Amino acid sequence: MKFSHHLIVLSTIILGFWIDDSLNPLTLKIFLELNFGFLIFSYWVFAMPEKLHSSAALFYGLVIDLFFSNVIGFNMLFFIATSYIIHLYVFRFRIFSYFQLSVFFSGASIFYIACKYLLLSPYNYSYVVLIISFLINAALWIGVYFTMRAFRRSIFSNL
Amino acid sequence: MARSTPTYTPVRNYAIGFFLSACLLFTDISYGTFAQLRGFFHSSALYAQIISDGMFENIGNAFSSFQKNKFLLQENKELRDQILRIRTQDFIERKDNQEKIQIIDFYKTLIGKLKNDDIDIFKIASIDLRNYLCCSTHKIFLHNPNHVQAGENTPVFAGNSFIGQIKNTYMSFIEVILFSDITHVLPVRSDLFYCDARGLGKPMLISCHLDKNNDTFNNQIGDIVYTSGLGGIFLKDIEIGFISDINRISINEIEVVITLKTNPLEETFYGIMSKKTDEI
Repeated sequence: MKFSHHLIVLSTIILGFWIDDSLNPLTLKIFLELNFGFLIFSYWVFAMPEKLHSSAALFYGLVIDLFFSNVIGFNMLFFIATSYIIHLYVFRFRIFSYFQLSVFFSGASIFYIACKYLLLSPYNYSYVVLIISFLINAALWIGVYFTMRAFRRSIFSNL
Repeated sequence: MARSTPTYTPVRNYAIGFFLSACLLFTDISYGTFAQLRGFFHSSALYAQIISDGMFENIGNAFSSFQKNKFLLQENKELRDQILRIRTQDFIERKDNQEKIQIIDFYKTLIGKLKNDDIDIFKIASIDLRNYLCCSTHKIFLHNPNHVQAGENTPVFAGNSFIGQIKNTYMSFIEVILFSDITHVLPVRSDLFYCDARGLGKPMLISCHLDKNNDTFNNQIGDIVYTSGLGGIFLKDIEIGFISDINRISINEIEVVITLKTNPLEETFYGIMSKKTDEI
């Protein structure tokens, strides 16, 4: 995969994290934390596992940490772990229904949020936030999946 | 059958990445090792945001300024149109007032000259300029929107003198034959002679043929010529022009050329004594 393709993928992930940063101050009032950035990263690994290896996950995580996180290493750690799990079970995921995929990726994103709260802001840890976010992110996954798939097909048609 | 699907990268790389990330996370959380680096990136992002905000603000300002300019241009155009309209209206009013003043002055002149205040004033409708400047027929048409009854041959006054007679009336126009028309004959007099002056077919010129010696008239150029009143149409002793030239025709006959006092090309208003007064 060319460097420009990596930049496009990274741009979409950055866009997702930017949307999260913009909307979360509003949605947290209703106990909802959106996680578009993580879902988009997951989609890319799920859609192109043979193109995005551990080094790409590490690099994306580092960039996101530098621009959006309060600590270096958090997104690197989760991106590389998620990437590994997806790589491990990618063909099994291919036969999953949309509902099963939604549950898995939403669950992964909630685990990410839970760890973020536990490590960086334990006083704000809330099960209500996790449950509501799980349901909403599961629904959002479907939208992310189809949107990103259409985008991938238009941009990476030759890959 | 394999327990899981094969991966594209060996687990070793993931393990290295995992431990590296964990180490970075631990050192950063515990000791703030990368605080400076994060600060640098955050400040860079903030700078980028400020610059982009500034750019958007400038674009917005430019756009609103363009809108404002467009509005001002529109307003300017409307104001200019309004000024033009007011100026035109003012011009028309001034001209109208000037015309009224001219009419009043002319009326006063007529009353002074003709000793009569029962006078109708008409505005010129057209003058047959092509014929007037070259040929024998010299006529003008006056507007008569009120269909004032004007008798045939009634004298017509303009400026400070008579200029012709009514020849005919058509609907709301009055046809006037000028003194300079070759068919027109006007009884005139000066201090030395009485004669019937005929139009020369040239602007402002009439002439008399006199059975007199040229020598007698040598020094009479510039003498004033008046109406004699002998035709029973024109009032007596109204100044109509002056002797401008004397031509010898034969031994005992001379032509006295009279230049008329009033130039029809310079007059806009014409006065006619009403039919009733004229009859009296």
